[in-house]
Amino acid sequence: MTAPATTYEVMAATIARELRDRELWFLGMSTGPETILLLTRLPIVAMELAQRTHAPNSWMLVAGWIMNPVVGKAPNRMESEFGNALGEWPCEGYNNSLTMSYIAARHEIDVGFGSAAQVDKYGNCNTVAIGPYERPKVRLVGPINQPGHFSLFGREIVIMPHEKRNFVDRVDFISGAGYLDGPGGRESVGLQRGGPCMILTDKAVFRFDEQTRLAMLASIHPGITLDDVVANTGFTHDYIPPEVEVTAGPSAEEVELIRTVVDPDGVMLPR
Amino acid sequence: MSMEPDIKLRSLSEAAALIKDGSRVHFGGMAVHNHPMAFVRELLRQGTKDLTVVSHVSANDVDMLIGAGRVRRLEFSYVGLEEFGTAPCFRRAVESGQLELSEYSEPVAFERFACSARGMPFFPTREMVGTDLPRVNPDIREVSDPFGSGTYHAVSAAEPEWVVIHAPMADKYGNVLFFPNRQLPEDLDLTASRTTRNLIITVEQIVPHERVRELPYLNLIPRFRPTAVVEVPFGAHPCSCLHVYDQDREHLGHYAKVGREQQSFDEYLETYVYGVKDHDAYLNRIGDAKLTRLRHVGGGLQ
Repeated sequence: MTAPATTYEVMAATIARELRDRELWFLGMSTGPETILLLTRLPIVAMELAQRTHAPNSWMLVAGWIMNPVVGKAPNRMESEFGNALGEWPCEGYNNSLTMSYIAARHEIDVGFGSAAQVDKYGNCNTVAIGPYERPKVRLVGPINQPGHFSLFGREIVIMPHEKRNFVDRVDFISGAGYLDGPGGRESVGLQRGGPCMILTDKAVFRFDEQTRLAMLASIHPGITLDDVVANTGFTHDYIPPEVEVTAGPSAEEVELIRTVVDPDGVMLPR
Repeated sequence: MSMEPDIKLRSLSEAAALIKDGSRVHFGGMAVHNHPMAFVRELLRQGTKDLTVVSHVSANDVDMLIGAGRVRRLEFSYVGLEEFGTAPCFRRAVESGQLELSEYSEPVAFERFACSARGMPFFPTREMVGTDLPRVNPDIREVSDPFGSGTYHAVSAAEPEWVVIHAPMADKYGNVLFFPNRQLPEDLDLTASRTTRNLIITVEQIVPHERVRELPYLNLIPRFRPTAVVEVPFGAHPCSCLHVYDQDREHLGHYAKVGREQQSFDEYLETYVYGVKDHDAYLNRIGDAKLTRLRHVGGGLQ
């Protein structure tokens, strides 16, 4: 009898279901151990899970350069985007040099993964500064590749630790353009495609309403209460629909796949 | 050779003295890899100040210079320590309004160097559309496509006055050898090496010129480019030198912690920069046992 899915496995299955066959997926750099777990290690497991269940023709660019690595043979816990050990990770190919950014510039990437210190009700993200830009309360690492994730990619999966201060009505700085000021916001600046498709947290899933473009609670992970979600969500708009679903976790077969094939040694996800 | 070419080999202090106060400098490497750290420490010892740093993805290299008050302006996309979080001195300086910033998305920051290498003054891009970067960065301008496809952001070429790169090997004439299976930090360095002849290369090892003749396909910075080459083993420590040694995670974690307060950061500088007279003394302070452990097994210099 397989033990029930962990929260990370629920999250991995949620991401995997969002990924389709014949797509190009891009995963980049992150900062801080919690973010490396959520934004790097978790999507890596999800991508291989998707490739093994329904997306054999998809292609993953891990850390932007390691193509289709064998996740279970990862040499480390992805402490850095580069390094000697990563250069020995069994994989299908390397994509170094500036060609990496050119693939994105040509709009060839279908899905990216992002996180931020703040995400707002329209899915705008902030990795630059909390407070006024010129004299911030907290200066963050910088925009890095987030602008392109939201302007050049087909869609962005935003992954956040579920804390009240991370969910705001309006980000202090837009480094990743969500739906900007709401309906028509992206179109008004010439962004014809792309943008966030979901916010995934360790408690719940938000998706964006097609009319209002507002983030709406789509499902709550098994074992988490609505009160818990509300207590940890800083949004002030009405984001709770009449019926809130429970996030469909992985099937028993998928759990087995994660634990025995994708990440057998638990290098990527804590057990 | 009957007429010998110029010998570019210099000491670390001679090479660092080439960079004058107020210079516009790019330090090679990316994230926590391949930064010319020994050179940075020597610049700190020499008192070089008022720098404009033009960068893309920086870490403790630029963070130390900022913490010591040597940077006036920073053009960049990221200053951070990856798993060890925000770059502490960068954060402190920006929060107290002491640093002039010009920031871009990462591929745009990379492309500024490619643009310089192509000899072009600017390039168009649409990837920062919708963000607040153009609002806060007056260097991101608007330009329209003369062929009619609409408006773009125009971004200027990096145009560094000086580029400093840490590489595995060079000969005394300035031919620089790279390993064949390069990662992005190394490829970005190669791009940066083509942006100016004011190029300083620090290397793990000076090799005989014959080695270059045996491996001409690895000579990716030919000797007409560098102004100076300097031999500094473990010259990227505590960052990695890809293929040769790993980043010193213990040291970087320590740095991230002590960097948070100016006083403990100043003590760090005293211990590892001002209080050691040169790079050899620095390596002695780090210790052979540690350095041996960092060596990349199966890689390294043959």
